[in-house]
Amino acid sequence: MENREFNVVGKSIKKIDALALATGEVKFTADIEMPGMLHIAFLYSPHPHAEIVDIDTEEAKNIPGVVLVLTYRDVPDTLHTTAGQGYPEPSPYDTRILDKRVRFVGDRVAIVAAETKEIAEEALKKIKVKYRELPYNLDPEKAEESEQIPPEDAYHLLPTVYEPSKNLAASVELSFGDVEKGFSDADFVLEERFEVQYANHCAIEPHAAVAFYDERGRLNIISTTQVPFHVRRIVSRVLGIPLKNLRVIKPRIGGGFGGKQEVFLEQVVALVTYMTKRPSKVVFSRKEVFVSSRTRHPMITWYKVGAKRDTGEITSLYLKALMNAGAYGPHALTVMANAGSKVLPLFNKIKNLKFEGFSVYTNLPVGGAYRGYGATQGYFGYNVMLDMIAEKLGIDTLEFFKKWHIKKGETSPIFEELGEGKEGVSQIIRSCGLSECIEKGAKAIGWYEKRRKRIKNGDKVRGVGAAILMQGSGIPKIDMGAAYMKMNEDGSFNLHIGATDIGTGSDTILAQIAAEEIGTSVDKIIVYSSDTDFTPFDVGAYASSTTYISGGAVLKCAKKIRKEILKVAQEMLNVPEDALYIENGTVYTRDGQQKVSFQDIVIYSLYTKNQHQIQAVASHIGLESPPPFMAQFAEIEVDIRIGRIEVIKFVSAVDCGKPINPVLVEGQVEGATVNGIGYALWEDYVFDEKGRVKNASFWDYKIPSIRDIPEIEVIICETYEPTGPHGAKSVAEIGINGPIPAIANAVYDAIGIRLTKTPFTPERVLKAIKSQGIKL
Amino acid sequence: MEGLIPESLDEALEALSERKFIPIAGGTDLMVRYKRWKNLPPSFPSLPLFIGHIAELSGIEKKDDEIVIKAATLLSEIEQSPLVPSILRKAISQMAAPGIRNMGTIGGNIVNSSPAGDTLPPLYVLDAKVVLLSKNERRCLFIYDFITGPGKNQRRDDELLYEVRFKVPKHTHEMYRKVGTRKANALSKLSVAALASSRDGKIDDFRIGFGAVAPTPVRVKSIEEKVKSRHVSELSDDFINEIVNEYGEWIKPIDDQRSTALYRKTVALRLLRAFLLQLKPV
Repeated sequence: MENREFNVVGKSIKKIDALALATGEVKFTADIEMPGMLHIAFLYSPHPHAEIVDIDTEEAKNIPGVVLVLTYRDVPDTLHTTAGQGYPEPSPYDTRILDKRVRFVGDRVAIVAAETKEIAEEALKKIKVKYRELPYNLDPEKAEESEQIPPEDAYHLLPTVYEPSKNLAASVELSFGDVEKGFSDADFVLEERFEVQYANHCAIEPHAAVAFYDERGRLNIISTTQVPFHVRRIVSRVLGIPLKNLRVIKPRIGGGFGGKQEVFLEQVVALVTYMTKRPSKVVFSRKEVFVSSRTRHPMITWYKVGAKRDTGEITSLYLKALMNAGAYGPHALTVMANAGSKVLPLFNKIKNLKFEGFSVYTNLPVGGAYRGYGATQGYFGYNVMLDMIAEKLGIDTLEFFKKWHIKKGETSPIFEELGEGKEGVSQIIRSCGLSECIEKGAKAIGWYEKRRKRIKNGDKVRGVGAAILMQGSGIPKIDMGAAYMKMNEDGSFNLHIGATDIGTGSDTILAQIAAEEIGTSVDKIIVYSSDTDFTPFDVGAYASSTTYISGGAVLKCAKKIRKEILKVAQEMLNVPEDALYIENGTVYTRDGQQKVSFQDIVIYSLYTKNQHQIQAVASHIGLESPPPFMAQFAEIEVDIRIGRIEVIKFVSAVDCGKPINPVLVEGQVEGATVNGIGYALWEDYVFDEKGRVKNASFWDYKIPSIRDIPEIEVIICETYEPTGPHGAKSVAEIGINGPIPAIANAVYDAIGIRLTKTPFTPERVLKAIKSQGIKL
Repeated sequence: MEGLIPESLDEALEALSERKFIPIAGGTDLMVRYKRWKNLPPSFPSLPLFIGHIAELSGIEKKDDEIVIKAATLLSEIEQSPLVPSILRKAISQMAAPGIRNMGTIGGNIVNSSPAGDTLPPLYVLDAKVVLLSKNERRCLFIYDFITGPGKNQRRDDELLYEVRFKVPKHTHEMYRKVGTRKANALSKLSVAALASSRDGKIDDFRIGFGAVAPTPVRVKSIEEKVKSRHVSELSDDFINEIVNEYGEWIKPIDDQRSTALYRKTVALRLLRAFLLQLKPV
């Protein structure tokens, strides 16, 4: 594949669902109402760790309108993981729909289905539960010696480290070279501990699911999912319902960010509908989203880095990561592993390197996939350490970045060593615009005019900081997406894809990829996605994979369609295939003598001669995972009297290969940037001594409001990724990784204080100012 | 939602004399306090008495040397009124978000009596008085006498907060600072409102009020007296330290999910110090 002139790709066309969204015509899961529908509510544990000794549901069952009250005695007890990953999942099977033991405040105790939500809520109050409280632990650093949290029979499908008795959900180790020797060869060694906190995805739409039987007795599930095909597989296994009897449909989704890569409501609605033969529905409240869905995994990282004073060469790097998985282990292995695998290849010339990662169970809310997926956690310390080394070397951080970051044509041993639940895939970087990102971003933020200037205005001091990042594009040799296309009499095309648009705009960009390849316009592509009955398989929307993996399938499929079209045209015009070209929905002969429209071609193929349906299907698996790159810059102001950090300007310069739709790229980067700024400055879970979430609402958990969002400049530094569809790489996650370290480095630039624990609240900043004193 | 909609102030007072109601104007606090599941109306413990539409309860006017703001006047109206002193307008402009300021009323903020109520520190330093009406009585109290604890005040069930009134101060220095988690829709971690006047180097007025640092807003007149009638040249470091330390005795914040006691106290005193330093000649 090569870079060329594009007609549709690279154009910021409107999202194909924009009008319906703007007019409110789109139905979300919660909007679905059906006659006779049951409403589901959950009873949650008030204890961080307890055994259910007795549970009396009689009174609840007798409330008029209550149809079903389920406890652990009434539901299938299949161990599974709620992580909506490929099979076999790299997450432990440690979860049951309901269990006799509850493992955090907010764990499920019972399920009620009733005629109305109000009755269901009422019934919850009438369930009498007797608990035997068990010792509990909220501190990941004390996990090993604490009471066992996962079930005794929990297990892992993969041959990986899993020691439930030690509350160890996963561990990985990777090393090459001689780390100790590397440190002794260094002129100086720096060590620091970093910590990031719990956070919620805060998708505007809460988790919801609906189940109903259709007229052929098949169980249909509509849910707010990023992974419809994984939902079908997991629900089938957990409930023992044959897969062929299940159909999963993803409607319009109001944002996922990883939170909807989890399968924990679908099995419940399916079970209720299976047992009652009535439609059922559950819609999470915001409190349930905060406490009982999934969160960002908190992580502690310890970095130790040695470097040479003359060359600046990093002689040795040691990273230890301790991840708090919470009470269950979805993504416990892979998020933790990504703190190494998505971070450490960036400075690929380090000869001695060691990474040790541990994921542990605690009696706290459950972590899961969240935009950035471990890279966010790992890049904080990484970029702060790089800033510290550059300072020690007396050189500009950006020069240090540019000298040592991985370049086109280079590789890193980490790609091969560390994968998702198994070994990774070696790859050579085929496109890298990071140096350009650094240069253009520096210019946009005014780096050279502002760095080390500490401009003061009253109580406020300004500083600038930077961070560099990479992510991936799908999980190589694991993630697969498929596409099906057929051509209609008016020259339009149905494009059926398993790919899951969760608000990202993937339906639009996949249509662009198809239209470009076929030689038509996007309005001729009718997109239908994410329905396990009517679209081919796709792993779903995660791991920054849709553009690269599903887009690859669409491109292949479109190539086949194009070939089919030319074949018919050849027959109609009676010329050799290479005498033809396609432009804007018409096939022309190169001599300019003849032409035939797409419409004529389909009519011919359907009604005239050699009748057949012009159609194609294609699958695509990523053999590599080309990283997008980014340089992010923060200009901040610290009010030293009250400790408040204000972001004045933020620049995100990104290389995502060829941007299929530049405005959607900007949207992803802006969204990720704001998401990251909120995580850096405010967002946090506040727990009481039992691990109860005290701020489980938007009242107390603050994400940035429009007035808090600084000027954000997105710069697209276009490259061409030869393995990507039309040169594209991913872009969805990377932008959340840089705000924490860029802001931390900017705070150091302003007041000489290194912040090592997020969020950087005024309380924490003021404490640091008071204890360390500021160096102005 | 069921409730009584009186046509006039008299009708409202008549109703209150007969049974207990929860008066509701904008509802920006009450609708949240009594909310239930979405799509369900809120559940009020007593019947709501809707007063937001009563014309006699709305408006801002200057009467002699006083500004009078009726209880159900919208926050956004006060924010935009040139009659209202800037310290109160500044405080309101940082409350919640425009949509809520277009619904919420000053009376609601006062009667809610939250330690973090953002109009309270400015009203404390303005020496505002609240007027309460019942069917047969009219009472006038200083705001700091009216508010007695977190969510607690002197309003009887048969009374309606009618208006708030204060004299416009003739000050030369002013400070309002709200420290919230973010810039909009965030309750205060703490807030400080301060006024002072110095003429020919003599401090003839000094008032400062703190929000969200104690069960009620804090204003300490005895310490203010010590600052008043001083000459600015007397604002030595020792004197400022003494004042700051004295306020430290009164500022008793708590730890909660929004902030810590330590942070609130430190910043409240730091802002006090900053204001005292503003009075010093450069």
